[in-house]
Amino acid sequence: MSDGREEREEQEQRRKWEKEKKDRDDDLDRYWERDGERERRDSRAAEVEALDAEVKAQLGQGTRRSFLVAAAAAAGGYGFYRWIDRSPGDQLIPKPLRKTLEFNAKMSRGVFDERGLAPTYPVARSMELRTNGNYGLKMDLVPESYRLQMVGVANAKDLPHYVDDVTAWEYQYVTKKEAGPVEHDTKVAPKALVVVGDGSQAKVDPNGDAGMGEGPMMQGGTASTMVGGNGEKKSDVKMPPAFAAAFAALKKSQGNKRPRGQEEAGMSDNTLDAGTPGLLLTMDDMTSLPHHELVTEFKCIEGWSQVVHWGGYRLADLIAKYPPERKPDGSLPKYVYMETPDGDYYCGFSLQACMHPQSLLVTEMAGRPLAQWHGAPIRLHMPIKYGYKQIKRIGLIAYTDMRPDDYWTKLGYDWYAGL
Amino acid sequence: MPEKPTDRREPIEELQPAAGTTQERVEAAPEISVAPRVEARDQAAEEPAAVAVSAPSTDQTLPVAANAVVTPVEAREPAVATVRLEKKHPLAIRWMHWVNFPVLFTMIWSGLLIYWNDSDNAYQHPHAVYRVGVGSLTVVRLFPPWFWKLINAPYRVTEGLGYHFFFMWIFAINGILYVSYLLISGEWRVLVPERRSFLDAIQVTLVDLHLRKGLPPQKKYNGAQKIAYTSVVLMGLGSLVTGLSIYKPTQVHWITSLLGGYEMARWEHFWLTMGFCAFFVVHVVQVILAGWNNFRSMVSGYEIVPAAKAPLEEERRVG
Repeated sequence: MSDGREEREEQEQRRKWEKEKKDRDDDLDRYWERDGERERRDSRAAEVEALDAEVKAQLGQGTRRSFLVAAAAAAGGYGFYRWIDRSPGDQLIPKPLRKTLEFNAKMSRGVFDERGLAPTYPVARSMELRTNGNYGLKMDLVPESYRLQMVGVANAKDLPHYVDDVTAWEYQYVTKKEAGPVEHDTKVAPKALVVVGDGSQAKVDPNGDAGMGEGPMMQGGTASTMVGGNGEKKSDVKMPPAFAAAFAALKKSQGNKRPRGQEEAGMSDNTLDAGTPGLLLTMDDMTSLPHHELVTEFKCIEGWSQVVHWGGYRLADLIAKYPPERKPDGSLPKYVYMETPDGDYYCGFSLQACMHPQSLLVTEMAGRPLAQWHGAPIRLHMPIKYGYKQIKRIGLIAYTDMRPDDYWTKLGYDWYAGL
Repeated sequence: MPEKPTDRREPIEELQPAAGTTQERVEAAPEISVAPRVEARDQAAEEPAAVAVSAPSTDQTLPVAANAVVTPVEAREPAVATVRLEKKHPLAIRWMHWVNFPVLFTMIWSGLLIYWNDSDNAYQHPHAVYRVGVGSLTVVRLFPPWFWKLINAPYRVTEGLGYHFFFMWIFAINGILYVSYLLISGEWRVLVPERRSFLDAIQVTLVDLHLRKGLPPQKKYNGAQKIAYTSVVLMGLGSLVTGLSIYKPTQVHWITSLLGGYEMARWEHFWLTMGFCAFFVVHVVQVILAGWNNFRSMVSGYEIVPAAKAPLEEERRVG
């Protein structure tokens, strides 16, 4: 596109200008030399130069000041970042960031009130849901041994399923029949990877339980409540005799049960104390509720999403059937806490989120009964929350007035997780 | 895109200040040019010898002594600086520009920490969203593992989310303040492209690529700059809207649906970010090419311009 002609013309023009300028200068030189004014012209030039210099000096001053302010601001900005980054942690993230998450949650509640309904889709658009993490699902649950524990229900004592101690219920497990499609999670670093350091040598089996905890079941052990197993036979860790004795005594005092909270985040602060009264509901109590189907988009905080066809019962209907006990001042407790039967995975919700019309206790997915690896017999779907709140294999639903513990919140994620 | 020293092509005849023109210009923007003018007079008074000097075009045959005695100070044309300071960028714009730089950087960095999370899954189809491809055809998935290792992204999702949802407020507030300032101060007139800008932009780009010569006339910004700077503000708005639609896809599902759904919104959010990165590269290269005088004006606000150059105030007032 470079036009040679145009270029030539331009060069000619420039040459002409330069020649004219030179001629003018020569003329002036001749005059001044004759009249002895050459010096004056120089002094004039010097004057102009001095003025220009003064303009530049003026700018120089302003520039120095501006750059000093800029440097101070940059230092301040960096200090601000360092302050955030070096702040003591609050559940694995710096406190200012945790506070911001809480502030954002408050804003979201204030603006949206969690009442929005998620869009629904035709069934044809739905697909198989990925499995992503099997916390609390390491063994298959024996369906007949399933009970839903409910704690904090109003007038529980008068209801048929009331027991004095819901924690005494023994869930039965068997070794997995099928592992499910893939079980893998990237939300936290697998411990093995952290130990090795740069991760290049640590080959993580993509189909393995990478990112899982280090509880006895993770190391080949079995749950103490497993049918035909005592949970200790495969442990080759040698313990000093005194420690072993103390450990055995502790286990015995806990009813020889498998310790709860065997995953990365550890034990929940809300794990029930032995002797907590409540209801032990059966699947029949659940299936007597009105059945609902829903096709919504499941969203994982990892960055993927899938349209899924769910079937089950509204959490709101269950709550209506078993309403929370009112506090002495007549108000309702603010929160709901749920956990898996083994207590390895747990979630906290506001009561309002549980009352959302699309919060579903899921018993079927894609038109089929829920698979064990998807959290049979009951899991939660809550389109107003990220996937990590949609707990699989719900063992306990408890009403509480303290904000309940939450598995992923402990590992640095937002408690609110509202969409 | 290019920040040109606004008038490097104007021929400047240093030793022959067109006194009349300069005087007019000076009056058009008095607060800027008063200082050099006043000082010029002071200087003249202090140096009687210089009084005799007249502009080259005046009668040069007059005897020096007579001229010195007879001519009063005022009657003589004062020496005038050939350059002046032009207030190019208002203080507010400079602050918001520089605040935006680290904030946008933090948003992109924390965003990458979040994106990593979908890159390493066991499903052999990572990054269904963050890829270049159509339908089932994928040319490249973003990003390759060496990239994640290089930026130390693996397993820092919570950090990414925390920073992202902290700095989003600063990014949004800064952006809203910036646009409000443009509207209130009238500075938008120098920024928003006109019909002519689009043709100019093509020409400017060709000149920058050394494919042709002859920059079109411009005031504060050339056509390409106007388009680039306006687009980047719109992209910022786009990032806020797509970001909100990803952040609260249930509560503001109507926005998410308008954007083509949740995955589409993520895709848009991602490519807007890539747009920022592209803008950044071109912007920095152009700033380097334009030189120190131009860069300094984004810090101090002032640029040194030829005295004869038309002041920017007019453009701000009338566009």
